Amino acid sequence: MSAPHPDTAVHSMPENGQERAQALGHIVFNGVLLSVFALLYFRAESLPASMWEPLGSGSFPKLALGVLMVFNVALIAQQAFRLWASSALPHHSVRHWLWRHRLAFVVLALFALYTLALPWVGFGWASMAFLLVTQLALGGRGPRALIAVVLVSLVFSFGLSMLFGDVFNIILPPPAWQ
Amino acid sequence: MDALLSSVDQMFNWATLLFMLVGVVAGVVAAAIPGFTITMAIVLTLPLTFQMPPLQGVAIMLAVYVGGSTGGLISAALLGIPGTPSAIATTFDAYPMARNGEPGRALAIGVWASFFSTLFSAIVLIIAAPPLAMLSVKLGAWEYFSLIVFAMTVVASLVGQSMLRGLLSGMLGIFMATIGPDPMMGVPRFTFDTDLLAAGLPFLVVLIGIFAVSQLLSEVENADQMRHAKALIPAEIVFKPWSAMREVLSHPVGLLRASTIGVLIGALPGAGGSISNLIAYDQARRSSKTPEKFGTGIPEGIVSSEAGAAATAGGGLIPLIALGIPGTAVDAVLMSSLMVHGISIGPRLILDHTDLVYGMFLAMFVAGFMMLVVCLSSMRLFLRVTDVPKYVIVPAVLTCCVVGAFALNNRLTDIYLLLVVGILGYILSKLKYPLAPLVLGVILGPIAETNLRRALMTSDHWGLFFTRPISAGLLALAALSVIFTLRQRYRQTTT
Repeated sequence: MSAPHPDTAVHSMPENGQERAQALGHIVFNGVLLSVFALLYFRAESLPASMWEPLGSGSFPKLALGVLMVFNVALIAQQAFRLWASSALPHHSVRHWLWRHRLAFVVLALFALYTLALPWVGFGWASMAFLLVTQLALGGRGPRALIAVVLVSLVFSFGLSMLFGDVFNIILPPPAWQ
Repeated sequence: MDALLSSVDQMFNWATLLFMLVGVVAGVVAAAIPGFTITMAIVLTLPLTFQMPPLQGVAIMLAVYVGGSTGGLISAALLGIPGTPSAIATTFDAYPMARNGEPGRALAIGVWASFFSTLFSAIVLIIAAPPLAMLSVKLGAWEYFSLIVFAMTVVASLVGQSMLRGLLSGMLGIFMATIGPDPMMGVPRFTFDTDLLAAGLPFLVVLIGIFAVSQLLSEVENADQMRHAKALIPAEIVFKPWSAMREVLSHPVGLLRASTIGVLIGALPGAGGSISNLIAYDQARRSSKTPEKFGTGIPEGIVSSEAGAAATAGGGLIPLIALGIPGTAVDAVLMSSLMVHGISIGPRLILDHTDLVYGMFLAMFVAGFMMLVVCLSSMRLFLRVTDVPKYVIVPAVLTCCVVGAFALNNRLTDIYLLLVVGILGYILSKLKYPLAPLVLGVILGPIAETNLRRALMTSDHWGLFFTRPISAGLLALAALSVIFTLRQRYRQTTT
């Protein structure tokens, strides 16, 4: 129970630890991209050629993927050297990083839920719920703020839906039951 | 002379001027919403002009166009999210300037740069429409491919700290643009038989996802800061339009260079504001004595980007008026509005409907002045956005992004793509990959592929890229551009 507050711990993380975290991040990210690009490269091999043109459908993407894979390998090599030159990550640093970014992850999760719920709940209700919950999660507290939160939620959900439907003739996704 | 007087008579009546004013306001507001493009605003305006006289209808649409060319600046400066593709480079300096406590200065500089550039493009349109249009139609697939190669060298100066990461970002954009139907044969590529990828990755969805979602998540990621600083820009708002005008005019060379680039790129069919703002910004940075200051919030950066984007409005009208070739989607909509009235577009337009063409020239000037008045008078209102707490701005703008992504094609899958691209953008920004090269790659990739394949379909002789004079000139410029950037980077690292 005597552990420092996560935010404080992150601020005190030595620069060398951040270097290592960044290097690890680059290696994992480029490793994943390299695997995906390699698979896509082989898939591009099966794209049909054309008798009307020398290049065909697959040549340009293969060129892009080939260059991308070279960049991935170069970045992994560069970052591996950086990783080797840096010291170990401080204890619990990943946990602290996740805790510090908690609001971003909460908003991202709510946004994902919102986009996935749209076809079923419809734009109006899904947006209303997303706006209400996200504003409250980000700190919209107190009586005055709560009134503003509700008003903003109404304007940017049902208000936007009405504006687009009635003025621009663009019908935003309706609920599944309509 | 009669034609000029007739066009003045048609233009300067209360109804036309009032509708134009409404058009400018609509353009500014539409472009300020991320994902809601100028094209979309003009398409929505089109049906409203069917019952109007031809010049009145076109004048209103030009007003929306000119207003929209500036509106993208607002969200670019205040939120760091380009409202339209033509405001991408504006985020590089306008947003840092706003975050440094000068949002009013950033907006005012952008508005004045747009205004002067719009006037410049209107003057060029009047003087040089026929000769410039003749030059732009001489460009074949070889020249277009070489032009895109030259434009891609812009990536080299947008890469930020690491050249390798910047190049990877640019190439990732080029690859992302290959997903979906092949532009020549329509063969599906990397779609895995899913509805999600069947239509490819729409450019606007990528733009909103990469810039808006990642930027908004970055705004809330520091939970500690969220507790203390609730507004986006907590500084006091100061708005001094006249000192901003003097500041813009104190960079005459930069303003003129960016406006010229905007006109030339606008005159090329297929190109437009989305490319010109980046190239104008890049050229300003290259010719600056202090290139390292670009990206930190300097006026030159805002002037070059905004002037480069705004001048494409007049530039795009050059091939439309002289040859009947629409340079951009917006010009195509303008063209269709004339065709609705039975006016045939082509080289005879200027001979058969001289009053209409003069009226269009006048409309450009009038719209430019209206844009200035509207923006300067409403800027204080827009600046209030910076006072709105983050907990309101972030979810509200995310909702607008969803609307922008959906309204583009009325496809739910575009909203899912927005989420996926947004996550990718956030990862890239956390790992310090520059985002602008990726967006540039998505814009230029399909144009490069189409023209390369078209050129090789005509003749599979690769040497033509180097033996056709304009193509060879553009490739030489591209080579020089890369050498110059590498030399500049080498100098920066050794000093």
